[in-house]
Amino acid sequence: MNTLHYGWRNLWRNTRRTCITLAAVTLSTAILIASYGLMDGLMQHAVSNATDLVVGEVQVHAQGYRRDYSIYKALKRPDLILRAAKLNNVAAAPRRYGYGLVALGTKSAGARFWGVEPALERTTFDLAQHLDKGRFLTETSQRAVVLGQKLARSLQAKIGSEIVVVVQAADGSLGNDLYRVTGILKAVGDSVDRNAALIRAADFAELFVSGDRIHEVALNSRERLSLGKLTEILSVAAPEAEIMSWRQLLPEVSDMVNLFDVSMLIFGLIFLLAAGMGVMNTMLMATYERIREFGILKALGATPWRIIRDVTTEALVLAALGTLLGTIFGLAGSCYLQEVGLDLSIFAGTYSVGGVAFDPIWRATISGKMVYLPVVLMLIIGLVASLYPAALAARLDPVKAIHRP
Amino acid sequence: MMTSGKIFLRVICLSFAVCILLLNHSPVLAQEQPLTPKQILDKVDDLFRSQSSHGFATMTVATAHWQRSLSLEMWSKGKDKSLVRILAPKKEKGTTTLRSGNDIWNYLPKVKRVIKLPSSMMAASWMGSHFTNDDLVKESRMADDYTFEITFKGKVEGEEIVEVTCHPKPEAAVVWGKVLVRAQLKDYLPLSVKYFDEDLRLARTMTFSQVSELGGRLIPAMVTMVPEEKPGESTIIYYEKMGFDIGLDDDFFSLRTLQR
Repeated sequence: MNTLHYGWRNLWRNTRRTCITLAAVTLSTAILIASYGLMDGLMQHAVSNATDLVVGEVQVHAQGYRRDYSIYKALKRPDLILRAAKLNNVAAAPRRYGYGLVALGTKSAGARFWGVEPALERTTFDLAQHLDKGRFLTETSQRAVVLGQKLARSLQAKIGSEIVVVVQAADGSLGNDLYRVTGILKAVGDSVDRNAALIRAADFAELFVSGDRIHEVALNSRERLSLGKLTEILSVAAPEAEIMSWRQLLPEVSDMVNLFDVSMLIFGLIFLLAAGMGVMNTMLMATYERIREFGILKALGATPWRIIRDVTTEALVLAALGTLLGTIFGLAGSCYLQEVGLDLSIFAGTYSVGGVAFDPIWRATISGKMVYLPVVLMLIIGLVASLYPAALAARLDPVKAIHRP
Repeated sequence: MMTSGKIFLRVICLSFAVCILLLNHSPVLAQEQPLTPKQILDKVDDLFRSQSSHGFATMTVATAHWQRSLSLEMWSKGKDKSLVRILAPKKEKGTTTLRSGNDIWNYLPKVKRVIKLPSSMMAASWMGSHFTNDDLVKESRMADDYTFEITFKGKVEGEEIVEVTCHPKPEAAVVWGKVLVRAQLKDYLPLSVKYFDEDLRLARTMTFSQVSELGGRLIPAMVTMVPEEKPGESTIIYYEKMGFDIGLDDDFFSLRTLQR
């Protein structure tokens, strides 16, 4: 307490210098907290965009399905997975997949057919609203198809076009039929854009003679449940299945998030290092001003440790005060950015990075990590920055110091 | 300019279009003068050459999940035109494949539409069999892609055989790392064709058996394709009836015939 009090009093012996350093620390911390909030907001937006659209937070497949996407590798008990999801109030969509050919006029292309339950897709994902043209499938839209953007373009398909579908059915026979294009998706991601052809599950079962085979259940709790919790629920419901989170399903998004975390840390370090230099400068000046004082203290029997403690405490008080103010301003800024956000629409409409679409309003998110990381970093840097002036003061020769002009 | 690929494809041509078979019992079968590998392949190829052909066959496909038989009626002309119509089972009845040059069209009677196969589907299976669409058309492209050498000549199980190995040229964009063709030395009837992938692992084997007189020629009536990676699976084509040099017009191999 004594040391703290001593440090506090010493700080205000040069009010202007202390205030300038304090402002530097406050500003650095505040800006860092606010920009961490913005970065985090961007990342969360990217992740939820990627997962809410079609992928989901967790997907369940039969073991090995994702190696060869064979129509025969269906989930053993999809009903148990859907029931577990329902019990935990997690939206889930069962999907069937098969490959084939779509043709319109003289154009033809390979396609991946999705047999979906329109109602469940609607409640679980945003895909049903993500249409460029036309409407999404409904329970009653028999032999209707929704095409990926690039697939529709390569077929030159329009809403209402009648396309021929040809598939190798599960019994070896040749399934073929006419389907009417009812919707065309907006950009989702390259593989979906290029080959997705969405049809009703019932139509799929008939076309592919695939019975009630279901190849995937995609779950989306909209961040209500953690990935760990979701995985736990599913591994009980389907112990023999392969359970994958979006981090495995969307490695590029996961990598982007990890990369952002690291670059945020580096960015923060550089930023705070500059503020730390300010602290060091202040403490060096304060030490030089008080050389005679330190000489007298030493002559009176103060140990070097005592002097180091005094100087570092003073710096810590400065840093702590700065980070406290910085946290207040930073959080206030983040709150503003969370509520109002940055409007980027003057630069661009909806833009996309790595196949993930972003909103033109950039909003921050507030989390514990974005506050404690700058605060802890700033305090550590403040402490380290004061060690050099402290060591200088501690090693003073009392006699020389006292006689210094 | 015949190549192993050509033969093989010719053979497939036989499978689908039941081409061609000119029993070329050339009396000057150069015993004195050894043939070059390419000439041997030409000889084999000549066996399957005909101006035109018409025939019936049964294709039996067995996979891990299902087994089925298709009755086929086939026509061919020259080396790059063929038409195959499915006669049974009922679900596929009337489904017809037309090949002309490097293009493949399918007619689907259920929806009454003709569709052209996109190049991305060339590696896909033809009617669920272990033959790919590419097998149907590749012949005309493979001539330039391989070099040939005789790698074996002698007795195997009491038969005098000759083995020609086909290696892709370094710059050729081909599927196979090596193709090995075996034929009987006396009449150049093909025995087997082995396809190796780019790591030179055996990928699939096509064997010829049951040499019978069909349409006045001696040809192997049974062609079996066995993929290496899927044990127990196979496609067997059995030729029941054949007619050669029946005088088909080029017009016959048109989209109009396809829809008939």
